Amino acid sequence: MSEAKRLLLEPHDLTFVEDVPYIYHCSHYNLFHDQTVDDVLGDTAGQQVRVRAAHAAFRQLLRAITQGASTPMERLSIAMGAFAAMGHGRVDLDVTAEGGSARTGHAHYGFCWAEKYGSRVSRTLPADAVAAGFVAAATEVAYELPAGAMQAVEETCVARREPECTFKVTRAATPVPLPPTVDRQAMEPFLGPSEGGMDEAWIGATADTLQEFVAAMEGDERGLMEGFGVFITRHLTNYYLETAYAAARQAPESALPIVESLLREAAHVCVFHTFGGILLSPEWESVAGRLSGEPEDIVRGCVAIARGLGFGRWAIRELGPDRLVLSTTSNYEAPYYAARFGKSDRPRCYFFQGAALAMMVLAHRVRWDGSAELTQSFYDDLFRGQGLGFRCEPTTCQTMGHDRTEVVVRRT
Amino acid sequence: MTSELLEQAVKDVAPLSAVLVTAMPDCLLYDSWVKEEGRWAPEEVASYFGDLVRSNREALKSLGSWSSTMQVTIESADALVVLREVNEHFVCGCIFDRSAPLGLVRLHVDRMLDRISAGLPQISPEEQPRAVRIIGFLRRYAPDPHAILMRVALRTGLSLEQLEAPEHLTPEQTQSLEDAAKQILGLQELHL
Repeated sequence: MSEAKRLLLEPHDLTFVEDVPYIYHCSHYNLFHDQTVDDVLGDTAGQQVRVRAAHAAFRQLLRAITQGASTPMERLSIAMGAFAAMGHGRVDLDVTAEGGSARTGHAHYGFCWAEKYGSRVSRTLPADAVAAGFVAAATEVAYELPAGAMQAVEETCVARREPECTFKVTRAATPVPLPPTVDRQAMEPFLGPSEGGMDEAWIGATADTLQEFVAAMEGDERGLMEGFGVFITRHLTNYYLETAYAAARQAPESALPIVESLLREAAHVCVFHTFGGILLSPEWESVAGRLSGEPEDIVRGCVAIARGLGFGRWAIRELGPDRLVLSTTSNYEAPYYAARFGKSDRPRCYFFQGAALAMMVLAHRVRWDGSAELTQSFYDDLFRGQGLGFRCEPTTCQTMGHDRTEVVVRRT
Repeated sequence: MTSELLEQAVKDVAPLSAVLVTAMPDCLLYDSWVKEEGRWAPEEVASYFGDLVRSNREALKSLGSWSSTMQVTIESADALVVLREVNEHFVCGCIFDRSAPLGLVRLHVDRMLDRISAGLPQISPEEQPRAVRIIGFLRRYAPDPHAILMRVALRTGLSLEQLEAPEHLTPEQTQSLEDAAKQILGLQELHL
């Protein structure tokens, strides 16, 4: 991973490894996202969709970053190194072209699920669809097998209070149908001209510094990546968006508002834990100076963070005490949707919508004088029910063919 | 609002931080006295106390060790908590300073419960519908409780409006709700 060519598509604040799009998300977002997919599709179907999405996404990545490797062992080594460097956990692969096994004590999803929920509830199904998809993809790529030739099933999982996560790898009786993936070339036609907004110079400079900082982050000896008070992953957008849109597109019409609400909620979770954690970190103070706690300071900080994490060139069009207009011509969701599915009849940039709302909640309802702790119970209080204090209305969306994506957040 | 009953019952119990009376089986706060208000929500804690006593009762019954006089004692870092069933309709939770000697705490609890039990009403509680209790249980224990109704709606096909008025759910809908609750909580059975 570290030797692979990383690309920052400069005017758009989108990040790629060898043309494969990726972003940064924390465990809180990752768990909520997967939970939502399973709630919509059902546990079994949801898990299958997630494994296949991860399988396809990692196959795309691993094929790209193992181009120079000439033996299966070299390719497996690169794959394991990349997975750990992305913060997903250090996985030991023991596989041949006919199958085998894999194990890890620290798969990101299982480990973080146990950390966050394990003392509270039990889990019956394993949590590491992403790792299962990776294991199958790594085996295929190592042995130059066709897409879907291998399948991996997680047999034990730390989220089920088992000592480690283990995966059984077998040849698929019939090829596993994998979803298509989107790369930089497919996304670029759907990116609009780059646009700046209020505080552009400060936001741009801060985002650049943050991009350099997070690019230097690597997984630790466990293959996990800790920073800003959360576990972070460098993750493939094809995974997130394939699974999110599978949930949104397969949901019954009557359930769609709830699905969309939960997909936006996942963004609330991200902004609260990751953006908030960054704002409160010493690293942020060194990058952006001391946080004043003024709402304008929080919102522009959040926009810089979004850019720094590779979400796209978000820009503030208007900002007042009761109103935020946030726009973008290069959010990571829209070009994926357009390339994968074509034009939508409804706004589909759910993360962007949810994040804009959460930014205003953070700006106006959190005390940034050092007394706030970004705990789960604080989140539950802040985002519970209808008492958010703001509502978000998408006005235009590139998934619908508009030239930019824009939302208006108003005080209620 | 603290009743006269509790005001009298806690008199002269110096190391006491709070007393919560929980109505069973629905685990709803019936009455409370809190020395230092505002640090936590008595309604929420009372529900957990009720659940805790119920779980303890079931566990002891499984062991064949249950008796109506059993009590739960919790020694945390900064509090000493004693939970006891006053009768089949009420559970009393007493929270003391951690530094209070256990023997003294037991003495205080015995005296307070004598006073409290004498003043509690004789009631024939009407049990809440099972669906109401399931929703209440999920709100207390499910991950991401703020989103729980939406999650249940997706898993059951019930609308949010239906879930917000669970007392009107049909038996089939209640069963569907219970199945979803078990999935979400990773439980084989819901003992409510």
